Amino acid sequence: MSTDQLAGPDARSPMRAATGRTGSPRTRRIRSLRARRTGAFYVFAGPWLLGFLAMTVFPLGYALWLSFTNSDGLSPNARFVGLANYREVLTDPDALASLGRTGLFTVITVPLTIVAGLLLAVLLNQPIRARGVFRTLIYLPAVVPPVGSALVFKLIFDRDSGSANGLLDIFGVNGLSWLADPYARYVLISLTVWGCGNVMIISLAGLQDIPAELLDAARVDGASWWQSFTRITLPLLSPVLFFQLITQIIATLQSFLPLLISIDPTPKGVGAVPESNQLIMIDVFTQYFSNGRYGYASAMLWVLFAFVMAVTFLVFKLSRGVVFYSVDPEPTQTKPRTIGDS
Amino acid sequence: MPDASRGSLDRRRFLAVSAGAALTAATLPGCAASVDSGSGAKGAKETLTLMDVAWPKKDKQKAEQALGMNLDIITYDVTKLNAMLAGDNPPDVVRGVGATDVPYFAARHLMADLDTYFAESDVLKPSDLAAANDVWRYDGTTRKQGTGPRYGMAKDYSQDCMFWYRTDMFEAAGLELPSDTEPLSCDAWLDLGKRMVRRRLGKVKVYGLSAGTLGGPLTQVMWMTASAGGSLFAEDLATVDFSSPEALKALRWYLDYAKSDIGPSVVNPNPDGWDWPTYQANRMAMANDGYWFGGTIGGDAKIAEVSRFAPAPQLGSHRISPCFSGTGYWVPQRAKHKDAAWRFFEYYFGGTPAQDRATTGWGIPSLNSLRSKMPRDTAFHQQSYEVQQRELPYFSVLPVSPYAQVDALNVVLTKVLPDAVKSGTAAGKVADALNSRMNEQLARGKELVG
Repeated sequence: MSTDQLAGPDARSPMRAATGRTGSPRTRRIRSLRARRTGAFYVFAGPWLLGFLAMTVFPLGYALWLSFTNSDGLSPNARFVGLANYREVLTDPDALASLGRTGLFTVITVPLTIVAGLLLAVLLNQPIRARGVFRTLIYLPAVVPPVGSALVFKLIFDRDSGSANGLLDIFGVNGLSWLADPYARYVLISLTVWGCGNVMIISLAGLQDIPAELLDAARVDGASWWQSFTRITLPLLSPVLFFQLITQIIATLQSFLPLLISIDPTPKGVGAVPESNQLIMIDVFTQYFSNGRYGYASAMLWVLFAFVMAVTFLVFKLSRGVVFYSVDPEPTQTKPRTIGDS
Repeated sequence: MPDASRGSLDRRRFLAVSAGAALTAATLPGCAASVDSGSGAKGAKETLTLMDVAWPKKDKQKAEQALGMNLDIITYDVTKLNAMLAGDNPPDVVRGVGATDVPYFAARHLMADLDTYFAESDVLKPSDLAAANDVWRYDGTTRKQGTGPRYGMAKDYSQDCMFWYRTDMFEAAGLELPSDTEPLSCDAWLDLGKRMVRRRLGKVKVYGLSAGTLGGPLTQVMWMTASAGGSLFAEDLATVDFSSPEALKALRWYLDYAKSDIGPSVVNPNPDGWDWPTYQANRMAMANDGYWFGGTIGGDAKIAEVSRFAPAPQLGSHRISPCFSGTGYWVPQRAKHKDAAWRFFEYYFGGTPAQDRATTGWGIPSLNSLRSKMPRDTAFHQQSYEVQQRELPYFSVLPVSPYAQVDALNVVLTKVLPDAVKSGTAAGKVADALNSRMNEQLARGKELVG
């Protein structure tokens, strides 16, 4: 008989011996609760994690590998080209121009959308008649699928038969080619801002979360509406606005709307997107499916990914001091508070 | 160490297992290529996967009954097709545009050579195939379209540079109607368009001429260059030359057309994407569409009464009337059910569906033996039939390059031409820009094809 056997099962595992398999009933209950919690965590996190690995990590890795080749996705003779695709992206005037246009488009539309959504939210937070109807109507464009909105915009802004030029016609003004350069960018911006209902609904939820007592106290102290709005409402709403700023920036940098308001909103139609609306994702799509440059397009996507990360990081840095959380987002106290704690 | 780590599934192991499962899930479609899923159990019906536009339920049921197999119809999507081809799991039959798709896919060994099937078929005999089916041929040795093995077949076709016109608008403008037998010169055609356009406050109320072939501006310039006696592509199809006198003449014509703003162009594309809605709304005098367009016109008696068909115009002394579509089907090289795909070919191209299609006027039948079924029951159909019959001898295949998709070259044109039209850049400079951009693309493709 070995010494292990003599010492019992816990002797082979110092850890097990230290924690003790047979503790008091209270210890066993705590351990069982923890095991159940851990199990629940894995059950709930598992599907997402599987999806994340299969649908995000694997494609990202595959695209990264493609970005170092000259693959067209179909030819057997693709070869490793090192960093050539990245060098080309960073020196290609077309790619840089589309990246610049995307940045400008983001700088214009994100603030516009947030300001418009916030203004609407403030208006619809007032005790007015048929408030629910107005909220529904204003939120409706955000619910309409982008394809539907884009189709309506195309009909409105068609040069020869659209109602926008019909209106100009009434006043004897020459019609404009709205869907061609240079006006197409304004139609695109309008279409993007048109969907500000999402911002409105989230801001409205934020506004309703602001304690009325604070605003009442400010009024009693003689604060004007503007003072209350800028010194109480906006600071308390800042986490909500910041969240929208980040998500809007990321979504806008990857916008695919220009294709929807082009003449042929199918993969074959990317060539018909006017130059002023040639955002980076349109360029990427053209490189993938018209030009068959899978390697180069993948490199463009990785550059865009880096760009999005850099912009997000920058916005986070710049937001310090202007976003106020009612609860510290990074609490230093990690011990959970329970009832009875003083 | 927390107690949880002692469980059978600790966090690290959980992550590792998840990664393994995800990788398996992501790679499974690729492995599926080696699994023959269709002809499973004995007695079970075979399933043919067809990538196509949506089929009416009735047609699908009829086809399944006639073929004794199930049809799994996947909606056509070029991105999905590329993914399926790249994943080695292609559909069994794919819808395609013969004139523009074949060189690109065949040169990459993605299409199955169907010559053996044609040689043994009693339904689809090579001697009965219309000449337009040659757009589905590709010779891998010479890298030329129009000769060599057949990689697919057209369901029907048109000579896409012909045009339709409105007699009422010609009469209102006091202009003589185009001849049914003699082609117009391209310059005369453009002039007619300029004379019939109607404008108001910067808007075109009535288009004089919609000049745009099915394959986009590239095929338009290819056709006109050929008509002037030249060729846009070099002999080896590895480069383009917009600077040759013939190509330059064609390019000048197109720039003049776009600048004069008498119809949809790369500068002002048609919002509907095709001519019919504008033509039907009495807002287009001439539409550059082939025989198939008569199928829509024939469905509207009022419009049919004032519509006539005309031969393809000529830019130079060569009378050429190509087909830039020839939509049909092809079988991928790695398709799992090639025999079943061929049975579908015989049914669809030679059976009842083909006979039914021939009578509608939505294209010329791809079998010569079905041509007698083309509609001739009204004056409109009779006129278009006769004009079309006289045009057939002028058909020829204008090969496109296997080194770049036609869409890719069209993207270059749609990027370069609008600025050139607006700024009035000289045609020679535009030609240089096009040569430079397109030849760069073609060179990249040549490197990959080898």
